Amino acid sequence: MSDFQPQLTKRFETKDGHTLKVFLETGGYASLKNLFAKKPAEIIEEVKASGLKGRGGAGFPAGMKWSFVPQNTGKAVYLVVNADEGEPGTFTDRFSMLYDPHLLLEGIICASYAINCHTSYIYVRGEFVEQINRLNAAIEEAKKANYLGKNIQGSGFDLEVYVHRGAGAYICGEETGLLESLEGKKGQPRIKPPFPAIVGAFGCPTIVNNVKTLSSVPWIVENGAAAYAAIGTKESPGTHVFGLSGHVNQTGYWEMPFGLPMMEFIEKYGKGMKGGKLKAVIPGGSSCPVLTAQECADLTLSYESMRDHKTMFGTGCAIIMNEHTDMAKILKNLTHFYRDESCGQCTPCREGSAWEDRIMKKILSGEATTKELDLMLEIADNMEGKTICVFSSALAFPVRSFIKKFREDFEKYCKPASVAVLEKITAN
Amino acid sequence: MEVPDGTNVLEAALSNNVPLEHFCYQRYLPVAGNCRTCMVEIEGPKGSMLTVGCNTKVAEGMVVHTDSPKAKAAQKSALEFLLLDHPLDCPVCDKAGECKLQNQYMEYGLYDFRRGVPRDFKGGKAEDIGEHVMLDQERCVLCTRCIRFVDEVPKTSELAIVNRGHESTITIFPGQRLDNPYSGNVTDICPVGALTLKEFRFKQRVWFLKKTESICPGCSRGCNITVEQNKGKIYRFMPRENSELNKTWICDEGRFSFNHWQENRVTEVKLGHGIRSLAEGITELAKLLEGISPDEVAGIASPAAALEDNYLLKKLFEKRFKLKNLAAPFWGKPGQADNILKLEDKTPNAQGLRLLGIDTEGKDLLARIEKGDFKIVIMMHNNPHGQDEARAKKVFGKVNALIVLSVHQTKVAEQGSMVFPMRPFTEKNGTFVNATSRLQRFRAAYEPENPDIVEASLWISRLAKALKVEGFDFEDTPAVFNAIAKDIPALNGLTFNSIPSTGKVLDLPPVGPEPFQGIKCQPNILGKAKA
Repeated sequence: MSDFQPQLTKRFETKDGHTLKVFLETGGYASLKNLFAKKPAEIIEEVKASGLKGRGGAGFPAGMKWSFVPQNTGKAVYLVVNADEGEPGTFTDRFSMLYDPHLLLEGIICASYAINCHTSYIYVRGEFVEQINRLNAAIEEAKKANYLGKNIQGSGFDLEVYVHRGAGAYICGEETGLLESLEGKKGQPRIKPPFPAIVGAFGCPTIVNNVKTLSSVPWIVENGAAAYAAIGTKESPGTHVFGLSGHVNQTGYWEMPFGLPMMEFIEKYGKGMKGGKLKAVIPGGSSCPVLTAQECADLTLSYESMRDHKTMFGTGCAIIMNEHTDMAKILKNLTHFYRDESCGQCTPCREGSAWEDRIMKKILSGEATTKELDLMLEIADNMEGKTICVFSSALAFPVRSFIKKFREDFEKYCKPASVAVLEKITAN
Repeated sequence: MEVPDGTNVLEAALSNNVPLEHFCYQRYLPVAGNCRTCMVEIEGPKGSMLTVGCNTKVAEGMVVHTDSPKAKAAQKSALEFLLLDHPLDCPVCDKAGECKLQNQYMEYGLYDFRRGVPRDFKGGKAEDIGEHVMLDQERCVLCTRCIRFVDEVPKTSELAIVNRGHESTITIFPGQRLDNPYSGNVTDICPVGALTLKEFRFKQRVWFLKKTESICPGCSRGCNITVEQNKGKIYRFMPRENSELNKTWICDEGRFSFNHWQENRVTEVKLGHGIRSLAEGITELAKLLEGISPDEVAGIASPAAALEDNYLLKKLFEKRFKLKNLAAPFWGKPGQADNILKLEDKTPNAQGLRLLGIDTEGKDLLARIEKGDFKIVIMMHNNPHGQDEARAKKVFGKVNALIVLSVHQTKVAEQGSMVFPMRPFTEKNGTFVNATSRLQRFRAAYEPENPDIVEASLWISRLAKALKVEGFDFEDTPAVFNAIAKDIPALNGLTFNSIPSTGKVLDLPPVGPEPFQGIKCQPNILGKAKA
């Protein structure tokens, strides 16, 4: 890990790294020279070639997404930054915005130039007051120094950036839910097609990118796609800010290239397990299927390894659980969260999330039978992939993986199914 | 199958008789795609994919499975979710019998009960939210049809979903009431019993209702409706789909006019103060008419009466009296119009009079009546001065005998020396021509008990026969229409039964604007599918 230079966190420890002065001293806005020397289409090609994937969770190739924006439609093009970091267990974007807001702005300038956008919105989770202040201050500084506004650095390119505060709904991290909220409506995902790249914010073509996706772009523009692709693994190029929380001796976040084995991550960075042996890992935010200790043995921090283990890279922030963890209680926590956060638009999600949560409650109260575990699995099947957005899948994944992989944790709360027959007659 | 370009999968299936359940989808509202019941499996290059039929446009060579195991499972599970916390109070719910949840569950549902946890109701019961509408939140399935309707058609936006997830409920905005002039429609499109009409609540079970295709006579738009009655009592008027006219909407004024046609009726033949049979009345009237010169009889036709009634009255005046002494003076004051459906002219058939060549102003005729030029005036289903008794007395003061053929006990009817009951449009067959020149047919919903209450056209025929005028041998109103169709070029080739149920536009200049000005309610299907 010694031979890599941090791209996303290099100013995190620097005093006043969030100010324009220090940002410029440490190589900030250096990518703009390369940027404006090239045509927008060339920038898209460059980012495509770099293999940069969206860091929001789905891992969609960023350059490919940009290339979907239709040009010369007569409509404005918008770039919306998804800074509504709300996935349980995830806590890295907030530091990017706090310690290095100009890097995000630089990324916004690069992306906006590539997709021919002149107005960009940063949709920030409303609770991030400090970050919002820092971002606004950075925008003011950048405007004064002509890194934003009209004719940026004499390039002829104009760009305005606005910060928009969300009201703290998980679903507003879904890109179309975010756009609805940005437009002042209730945050509910939109039915697709049309996709935001065609009809997005205010009816115009729109790209929604995560904070770290955009923060990664300046380095690519400055150093080239080949240099970026050389970092990390073949399918997961570049670096990422990985987080650790849960039963480890040291929680936190570290920037490193993709490809580090999970166990090494826990041992080296997390300083080993706390309170007992490893039992389970939720690798990238609560909606990713959980992994057992055994599965983690050959897991690496990369999109492909997560996929091979039938889970998702997600946000790259892992939740570590030791052997004393009661998985049933953890799942109840998750079903409660998803029940609360479902926007309530689609039937399977609205009803399914509440149903799962009610069954979990029944299980923990000792009233349920093992048959209800199978019912939960069936409900998860009926929720997955049947709705407008992926929220209901995001609950179905943990439900299915928790119950299948840690069934004994649930069964200890349940009565055997045969006892239930009598009760079913008397109940309801 | 082949369908027009732009048709969605759901419409394509339905129009080709492929059953596919659906809930939130309403043909004339924007697609919301939230109920997830119309799930279909579409084969694609990367394998098959489950998606909703309502938001997927049909494409060339598309392979869609509506009944594959995957699609069926998705449809069933969506219904199970919908029913999960539904109160199942069907026995006391007015929607029972025409409830989409009830019907579709019977058809496609999953019968094994497995909720296993207590129900969690989504809100209150019977909340008064408007002049006509009650809201039962616990029955709501959150399909947002009502919200989309108030947003898109009357554009009043009184309704919204509050809260999130399972706690989502539909409600009105604080301080607002659902009182727009089209509010009744939300109860029709509500797939369950969440929105019900005060005027219909607990009045009648829907499976007892007999439905008859009809036309709303409330204004010259002529919205298509069904008259729904049981044992001769009308319980409601419901909009009937006509994609070229009223879509699936009607205004509240028209919807709630059903009581008007059953109240304050003329029920007997009255000669002076005596009550007679119809046969006696006609004989008396014929005797009276035979005693005077044909010049001294004036006729008042009506834009509220059917084409057939007006046609025969005109024919009678042509053959027996003087055609110039027949007119159909304007009925009351013009009413309110809007850009949706309502038109100023509150009569259904003024265009029909124009088609027949009957003067719809009649100012000159009224002036001559007032002057005393006529001994007898025959007035059919008209009330030229509204309820203005003084004015009516002044106009008809010098008339020896005012013969009134009337549905309602109006002030003018009280003044008549002979009053004959007449059937309203709900009890007769006939046609109207609306402001945009659409000829439309309505049928009798039921027979009145009293056989002396006859259709105006048949009353005129009987009078003509009593006066020994030839050419009035009509068995029923459809026969009259068939005769008109031969007589009037614009109707040539039509018969009463061959008029399409959504009407036929005639070659006659329209006198009113098309409906839904500035409102996007293009049907989501572009035309009838080619098989």
